[in-house]
Amino acid sequence: MSTIQFQQVTKDYAGGFTAVKNLSFEIASGELVFLAGHSGAGKSTLLKLIAGIEQPTSGTVLVNKQNLARLSRSSLPYVRRHIGLIFQDHKILFDRSVYDNVALPLDIIGFDGREAKRRVQAALDKVGLAGKEKLNPVALSGGEQQRLCIARAVVHRPAILLADEPTANLDRDYANDILELFKSFHQVGVTIVISAHDESLMADYGRRILRLKHGQFTA
Amino acid sequence: MKHWFRLHTLALRHTLLGLLRHPLSSLLNLLVIAIAAALPLLLWLVLASLASVSNRLPVEPQISVFLKNGHDVAATKALEQELAARKGMAKVRFVPRDEALRQLEGATGTTDLLAGLGENPLPDAFVLTLHGTDAAPVEALHAELARHPLVEEVQVDSAWAQRLERLVALGRSVFEVLAGLLALALALITGNAIRMQILTRREEIEVARLIGATDAFIRRPFIHFAAVQGVLGGLLACGVVALLLARLNPAVSELAQAYGQQFALQLPDWRVLLAVCGATTLLTWSGAWVAVWRHLRQWR
Repeated sequence: MSTIQFQQVTKDYAGGFTAVKNLSFEIASGELVFLAGHSGAGKSTLLKLIAGIEQPTSGTVLVNKQNLARLSRSSLPYVRRHIGLIFQDHKILFDRSVYDNVALPLDIIGFDGREAKRRVQAALDKVGLAGKEKLNPVALSGGEQQRLCIARAVVHRPAILLADEPTANLDRDYANDILELFKSFHQVGVTIVISAHDESLMADYGRRILRLKHGQFTA
Repeated sequence: MKHWFRLHTLALRHTLLGLLRHPLSSLLNLLVIAIAAALPLLLWLVLASLASVSNRLPVEPQISVFLKNGHDVAATKALEQELAARKGMAKVRFVPRDEALRQLEGATGTTDLLAGLGENPLPDAFVLTLHGTDAAPVEALHAELARHPLVEEVQVDSAWAQRLERLVALGRSVFEVLAGLLALALALITGNAIRMQILTRREEIEVARLIGATDAFIRRPFIHFAAVQGVLGGLLACGVVALLLARLNPAVSELAQAYGQQFALQLPDWRVLLAVCGATTLLTWSGAWVAVWRHLRQWR
């Protein structure tokens, strides 16, 4: 069963730039897929289309058999709650503690205090940030900030995890740690799409790789 | 229900902490709201008090007709009947000079005015009350009676009461315009303050939206903030007005005494104060709602 389905999807931006051109593919439920290609190849746009952050100019994006473009403004948030997002620019909030950053998705969904606390703690343990709950994220290293971002993306246990360049700017060992983390989520059945420009990292994992160039797949 | 309650207490806690985190700007905002609400409230109080004075006064035109001394009793009776038969006449009351003297003694609190004066200096008089509030028939009657051979002097007594009533009516219009403008200003000020808050919390809003926050979730803290400011601003406005009244009342009483009136501005009862807080809250709330709506509508 496919969780993510693209049918002849094209995305044009204002000014005539075509980020993604006539893409059709499927990602099965529970699959781990890599998205490769240089900067500007359309990887981020593709992930944004899956998350419903961008709307396709033409074609159809189905996530869990739902056409995101047809969803009303008020139901889109509920679809997003099944998706965990790891942003290229992290989007960490520096006006609050590590704990509160991770707790944000649970606040939004409305978990009660005790269950939220338990889940935040579990997520921080998982990414190796236990004991740093009270710190401001400014005090974290680049790699730790990346882990914080991952903890926030998985704390509400989404069915789909989208990671945009999660290993960029990390040294090789650290990058491998991060990928091992994703592998462990994959083992519990989460559908994962990871984009990266460095294909050498992906090769070790023997998973399907979608290669993008100028918005189209290459062999 | 539990979830809903939790979300609201969460937002409210955030709001109160936010107020405390920026005490100076919070206080300045509150003062602006309080002053904007206190001005129309004060004007309303003045008008309500003046209206109560003007209600105690006869507003229907009243004319005192003082007769010449030593006039003919039969002619006076004839004049009284003739006046009573006129169109628009509500009441004709004859006040004999003796009664007038007793009234004067009563009003001044002296018992034996005659002893000092020797003779009653007051004339017989008619007190006429007319229907309606038109000035023209009053003026016409005034002019006609002034030429009457029996009449010494004619006085229109109710003129100042009428003027006061018109002044109060004008004041009401001013109040309505002023209250409307200040209400609009209040909503705009709050809307702008919320807009600034949205700008400083733009990242947080964006992240929250991306990970599945509904519009209501994003709106909630701003709306709570505005509503809390509205309530506090309204209370502060009542306090400001109470202070102003304490400061103004001695002067107002002195002025009223000069006109022979007992008069002081009263702080309105709790229902009015509640209405003031309700109004400021509603205004700040709607200002915030519009500001958040304007921000949110840029996204699908």
